[in-house]
Amino acid sequence: MSVEQASLRCESCEELTVHELHYAGRLLDAVRCTRCGRHLELSQRALLPAYVVDLEQRVVSKPGRMLRRAGADPLGFLRQLPRAVLRQPVKFLGEFRELLRR
Amino acid sequence: MSAPRAAVVMLAAGEGRRSGYQTNKVLLPLAGRRVFTWAVRWARELASVERTVIVIREADRDDVVAAVGREVGPPEVTIVTGGDSRHASEWEALQALAPDIEAGRVDVVVIHDAARPLAGTALFASVVDAAWEHGGALPVREQAHLTALDSGSEPPDRVVAVQTPQAFRAAPLLEAYRRAHRDGFVGTDTASCMERYTDLPVHCVEGDARNVKITFPEDLFLAERLLAKAGYDLSGTHGPDPAAAPASRRSALRHLWPGGDHP
Ligand SMILES: [Zn+2]
Repeated sequence: MSVEQASLRCESCEELTVHELHYAGRLLDAVRCTRCGRHLELSQRALLPAYVVDLEQRVVSKPGRMLRRAGADPLGFLRQLPRAVLRQPVKFLGEFRELLRR
Repeated sequence: MSAPRAAVVMLAAGEGRRSGYQTNKVLLPLAGRRVFTWAVRWARELASVERTVIVIREADRDDVVAAVGREVGPPEVTIVTGGDSRHASEWEALQALAPDIEAGRVDVVVIHDAARPLAGTALFASVVDAAWEHGGALPVREQAHLTALDSGSEPPDRVVAVQTPQAFRAAPLLEAYRRAHRDGFVGTDTASCMERYTDLPVHCVEGDARNVKITFPEDLFLAERLLAKAGYDLSGTHGPDPAAAPASRRSALRHLWPGGDHP
């Protein structure tokens, strides 16, 4: 078992926080946010489908209009992205999990 | 047009400051390797990739050198220290490549965020080809699913996400960064600098749903799972099976968990 510490984004703290990562052999076994204590472990893998759904959602910008802008003006569109990306709807993650857990 | 010769720039310096005992996330273990060496491996499967530059934080140098020694085979990798911003890091990498670009030994430069370990060989191939043909190339994914859950009044139509690797013709890219350097211009990303100093069209290529960026701790679990699902091999040059691309939530789940929507 090895332990690493790294800055990752905490869904609860909604910012970059120091996480403690526990590895069992080659694979990640558990992760804990050292600020709020939010804990993810191996069993969490079972919830990954929900997370996959969220995955792209949270790096997604406004629908429709922005894609059309991207087509017409990909670079201008890109310049706008960082702000849009910051609006990651992290709160949906929990909802998706609940949805898929049933 | 003959096949372009490409250089890959891996941005591994990360954002923000970390205190000494913390590991840069691109240096975290991921399924038996460091996060950043996975994408180096997939990029270098491409015959057109002749040079690799890894942009690091100076504090990570020993760890990066050790990981490269263990996990990346020849040809040699160039390691440069990044600047305070993404732009500055790109500029450092381009200066390291400048002699080869000016001598015509590098036609296309590919910029990749080292926190995206699952960018496969096919994606690198597609941006290199598109950049050579058009000037610049970005992987973009259109998402049709889940927007209806958004609480806003937007209709549930298309949304997009932009990924790396992004590729650009080398000479105009270098020239744009030289001019930016002279002007003191700091772009938020490669494309913003290209937009300011060139008229080159940028072409959108199809991104890969698996190409996750390690941001949240969940991403590490997911990346492990995706790598395992791919048999730890993303070196195919034909891209992901279109039938497996998650055009909807259900197909996304089937893609990862062939037995059905629930694991
Ligand atoms: Zn937290």
